[in-house]
Amino acid sequence: MVEKEAVIVPEAGLHARPAAQFVKEAKSYRSDIVVIKDSAEANAKSSLRLMTLGAKHGDRVVIRAEGEDQEAAADALVALLSQEEED
Amino acid sequence: MADYVKLEGVAASEGVAVGPALVHVPRELKPERESIFGDAIENELERFRDAVEAVVRELSETAERLRGDGSESEAGIFEAHAEIAEDPEFQTGVEERVRGLESPEVAVISVGEDFAGMFAAMEDEYMAARADDVRDVATQIATELMGGKKIGLETLAEPSVILALNLAPSDTARIPKGMALGFVISEGSRTSHVSIMARSFGIPAVVGVGAALEDALGAEVVAVDGTEGYAIADPDSDTISHFEEKERNAVAEAALLEEYKHVEARTADGRRIEVSANIGSAEEAEVALSWGAEGVGLFRTEFLFMKRTNLPSEEEQYEAYRKVAEAFGEKPVIIRTIDVGGDKDLPGVDQPQEENPFLGWRGIRMCLDVPELFKPQLRAILRAAPYGKLRVMFPMVVDAVELRAAKKILEECREELKKEGAEYGEIEVGVMVETPAAAVRAQDIAPEVSFFSIGTNDLVQYTLAADRGNERLMRLQSADHPAVLDLIGRTCEAAREAGIWVGVCGESAGEFGMIHKLIGLGVTELSMSAPSIPRAKKIVSEL
Repeated sequence: MVEKEAVIVPEAGLHARPAAQFVKEAKSYRSDIVVIKDSAEANAKSSLRLMTLGAKHGDRVVIRAEGEDQEAAADALVALLSQEEED
Repeated sequence: MADYVKLEGVAASEGVAVGPALVHVPRELKPERESIFGDAIENELERFRDAVEAVVRELSETAERLRGDGSESEAGIFEAHAEIAEDPEFQTGVEERVRGLESPEVAVISVGEDFAGMFAAMEDEYMAARADDVRDVATQIATELMGGKKIGLETLAEPSVILALNLAPSDTARIPKGMALGFVISEGSRTSHVSIMARSFGIPAVVGVGAALEDALGAEVVAVDGTEGYAIADPDSDTISHFEEKERNAVAEAALLEEYKHVEARTADGRRIEVSANIGSAEEAEVALSWGAEGVGLFRTEFLFMKRTNLPSEEEQYEAYRKVAEAFGEKPVIIRTIDVGGDKDLPGVDQPQEENPFLGWRGIRMCLDVPELFKPQLRAILRAAPYGKLRVMFPMVVDAVELRAAKKILEECREELKKEGAEYGEIEVGVMVETPAAAVRAQDIAPEVSFFSIGTNDLVQYTLAADRGNERLMRLQSADHPAVLDLIGRTCEAAREAGIWVGVCGESAGEFGMIHKLIGLGVTELSMSAPSIPRAKKIVSEL
């Protein structure tokens, strides 16, 4: 299991479009992945759950991945949250 | 006082309409079975999965159809709905309840309500609106499970003004073309789906009228003013004729703009003003042309470089530039070389963390230092040049020293291509005037370029020392400030002496109050977002 921290860079936070992208990326890994904000956890492969986290621009979240490709999954998702959305 | 009911709400979609009222009452879903027997679990789960699949298929088809009609953002709504239907947590939630012997139709509605409740409770207008999305999807799956045919809006045969508590995207999508004259909606805001759909289809809409809607439910005729944000139930004849006049004016205005789409804009004293589009990807070329763009005044190339782990190849860039060059043919396309700084990640380039990315290592500064970034782009532009009329423009230039360095690299690229025997074409070179330094000393730069294009967004930000994103500095975010106008004037003056032309490619080119000032100062090309083009042409023609 790995845990990595990220600060959300996209202005829109983890809302509709960014969330959809994030979920798409998460689904491309076999590992179980959760996003943790404060004490709340959400399945990274469910945009509905993710949106209920209400994670906003500037919030600190932890990505926890467990499975065969856990390192790559956590790295990719942290990278995704750390980059600006294309305008 | 006239004897009618006036409903005040939010002006959600421009235009006026008068027509027979149709009250849309959403059908109450009444599942026949609350529970199931233990031996039916697998069978019911199968039915649930089939229903999800059917709904997803239907949503995807609608999305595709809308995309085909050019309604990109509406297509996105239906795609998002398909995603909700396929959401693993949503499905697990339903499956758990079915295993607990709940009927799938009841389970779907309950799980939908659970999520909707969570969204509705969030203190964010956007998220609260997502509650309706989940409910809409859950309702569709439940309807499918109950084998029900949807009724109501899709059978509408008389053009009507539709009154409803709210309309889900699946509702609006079912209305046959031309049957919705207007919308009067109790709930919602400008960002609700119904508002977005209404704007996209050009249907007048007033939303958020609240409980007042009840007073209008018995009305036979309703008048909607989506520009002012009100509706009138059972209007008297004076009101009707007043609305009909407004309707005629609005239609005339739209027709007039349509007429201007494809004219060449010329001022009364005969000065030709080229009205072009700003685009941010190769796909936008066709849309820009359909709005009457006479060229591309600013082709931002950043899209090629973002969201990836390596730099785009020369070949990939060549394809994108060639596509736009071919689409525009004889019409000029100005490609701006990449302008990225520390505020955005560039793959394959080691960018230092900077305190002030907008005053940092970006644009031409970075390109001059990183030839492996700059050269493939220039080579790709040169190679695409034979397929149209391409121009290149360098961003963030401060003085002629930078310009010469950039031109030297461009020359190297040309030499290389020549040596390789590759096909390439000639391109005009220009500078994007967006630093006060370039504007103040425009006379140093002008003799060495074919054109200037003033990027007013950054020129304003740098001249007035006001961050573009800072809401408290609203007053300092317009080019309509004497300091900025002076710099634009100087730039035009230097250009005149050198015999080159000046364009404007910032927001202010499409600000209708600014157009006459820019032209007065000597600007002869205006580049803006495509939908603003017809109106800009009209304004120019009236000067």
